[in-house]
Amino acid sequence: MMTLELILQGLVMGVFYAMMGIGLTLIFGILKVVYFAHGESFMVGAYTYALIAALLGLPLPIALASAVVVGALLAVIVERLLIRPLYEKFGDWQQMRDEYAIIVTFGLSLFLINAANQFLGPYPYHGPALTDIARFQFGDIIIGGHRLVAGLLGLLILGGALWFIQRSFWGKQIRAVAQNRFGASIAGIDTRRVSALVFMLSGGLAALSGALLVPLFHAQPDVGMVPALKSFVIVVLGGMGSPIGAIIGGLILGVLESFGAFYVSYAYRDTFAFVILIAVLLLRPQGLFGERAREV
Amino acid sequence: MKRVSPVAGALMPTTSKRIAGIAAAALLTAGLASPVAAEDGPIPIGLSLTQSPPGAVIQGEEVLRGHLIARDIINEEGVLDREIELHVQDSQGIPERGRSAVERLIERVGVVALSGQHQSSVCLAEIDVANRHNIPYMNTNCWSDDVRAAGYPQVFNPNIYNSRVAEAMGEAIAQLEGIESIHALAENTDWGIGQAEELGKYLAEHAPDIAYRHDLLDREAEDFTPVVQRIRSDQPDMVVAIMLPPAAYILMNQLAEQGVVPSDDTWLFEGGGLFSYPDFWDNVRDSAVNTIFFDLYHPEMPLSAFGERVRDEYVERYDGTPSRLVFQAADSLLLIAEAIRIAGSTDGDAMIEALQGIELEGSRGVITFSDEPGVLYQQWVDTPYVTFQVTELDQALEDTVFVSAPGVEVNIEALAR
Repeated sequence: MMTLELILQGLVMGVFYAMMGIGLTLIFGILKVVYFAHGESFMVGAYTYALIAALLGLPLPIALASAVVVGALLAVIVERLLIRPLYEKFGDWQQMRDEYAIIVTFGLSLFLINAANQFLGPYPYHGPALTDIARFQFGDIIIGGHRLVAGLLGLLILGGALWFIQRSFWGKQIRAVAQNRFGASIAGIDTRRVSALVFMLSGGLAALSGALLVPLFHAQPDVGMVPALKSFVIVVLGGMGSPIGAIIGGLILGVLESFGAFYVSYAYRDTFAFVILIAVLLLRPQGLFGERAREV
Repeated sequence: MKRVSPVAGALMPTTSKRIAGIAAAALLTAGLASPVAAEDGPIPIGLSLTQSPPGAVIQGEEVLRGHLIARDIINEEGVLDREIELHVQDSQGIPERGRSAVERLIERVGVVALSGQHQSSVCLAEIDVANRHNIPYMNTNCWSDDVRAAGYPQVFNPNIYNSRVAEAMGEAIAQLEGIESIHALAENTDWGIGQAEELGKYLAEHAPDIAYRHDLLDREAEDFTPVVQRIRSDQPDMVVAIMLPPAAYILMNQLAEQGVVPSDDTWLFEGGGLFSYPDFWDNVRDSAVNTIFFDLYHPEMPLSAFGERVRDEYVERYDGTPSRLVFQAADSLLLIAEAIRIAGSTDGDAMIEALQGIELEGSRGVITFSDEPGVLYQQWVDTPYVTFQVTELDQALEDTVFVSAPGVEVNIEALAR
């Protein structure tokens, strides 16, 4: 029975990892940018939810929606002000230097963490749970009430995001730009708008992940660091640029961590992610769903 | 067209070089020489404490408040006709940051004593620097035995230490009926590891029938569910939490989420003195009910006139009940001020000698320092402590149930489940 419970707990955590990973993989897919400030979208969502719900006392759906909006808005501003100038200066997309984006987004991450510390204070904020039910019990399986509700909500959102990417008009544009940015622009796709859309989607999902987890984790300036690191592992595991890979990768990582921490040692819980990272890079560098060569 | 004298033209660079040379020499001299506090100016005291993550920020804030209150009280009369001036550096709870913070305070500010540190790993890094510069170091709240066992004459410990905490917790645990197994969860720091191990040693000696195990948790981790599931599966009679916020808050909430506590089967004993932190009830809910807390202050404790003044000032300035850290911080600064007064100067050796023989009424008792080597070296041996139980949600510290104190038997009947 414990095995089932570990799987369930792992899958729930995996949903949140996947919400983080899918945004990161999309950004890499269309811009080839390694976005180091992704964890801060998580942090912004966590703070927004906690402040609006706990301090202002507004209804929880409004707090959740606000977290998504603030996270998405922040990501769009970042794209417009910091990322777009990096690639617009190059006539040929291939000339863009990756290290610029790494330095800019790494600096942005540090800036946002310190800004949160300065303006919101270093104290942890605790967000209210989505349900008053402390825990659900199915036979011997116990799972926290908020954890289950948040996990199910996250699963729904992930399904919606996947549908949007695979089936919607805008999603097809995203995939077209990811396959060949130049070709997509010749076909009439506004690649700049698509880039902004991807950042918006990525920021919104990461912020929602933070908002859903803040009743369990607490909001504080560096709360996004660990989830961001995990999402890098997920992206490598699932295959860079693959949304489905990010979802599967997130779920696999969640379950492996759950089992490893229980049966091996909790002390190595975060180590499992990096063992997976090294193993994937050695054995299957393109990841589970990635392509060996992306350029068309 | 402006004409330039060839002589002037030749002299100008030489003059500039000379001025630049003098300026460089002056800067070099200023940089190399340690600053010395002006004899008639304020006395600079350095504080190294946590003001930003990943360290325990709430602890740092309370320690700072205690020092500020004590500074204002001391400055009413002054020390050697001078005022105390505090210089604060943020150590972030990171040992290397703490080391560089105290280096900066000593080298650049010229502080005559150091105080304020509240995280053992950082203390252990900082005391090497204090020892090298022969600067008195008042350990405000580092509990690790290793801080004492280092045997540095500059380091004084007016707070409690791990093996004493373990002894106090062990005494209470040993008197509880029906405790057969204990699972301790400690943060992976010098304080956490030390306290968990000391508790194990104490129980092995005094309550050998109790099965004890401990797990080390990363203080920056956010999800402790797997280890909590393990505890739920093992069903120990008691869980001991030895962690600092925010990880401690997260852990306590996740223990409640899994139904481990509060329950009729499992006690929760908190060993980090968290309850009196101002943000405790904002972050911890059900899991705190029926939890037994170890702490160094309780409103039922007798306070000296200085202690009452510190408490009243805290209530007036910050509108809340002061935590133990406020009193510990106030005592730390009071000790430094008294050492300067006795020494008649801010000379390091003279202050250390004064502290070694000091007998000072602090906020919660008369402070003296032992000269016994090892864990008791320059330790205030009679540090007061208390264990109490929280019985209701949002309960105030003064309404908690008193369980035990030094020399007082554990009040088993008072405990609720």
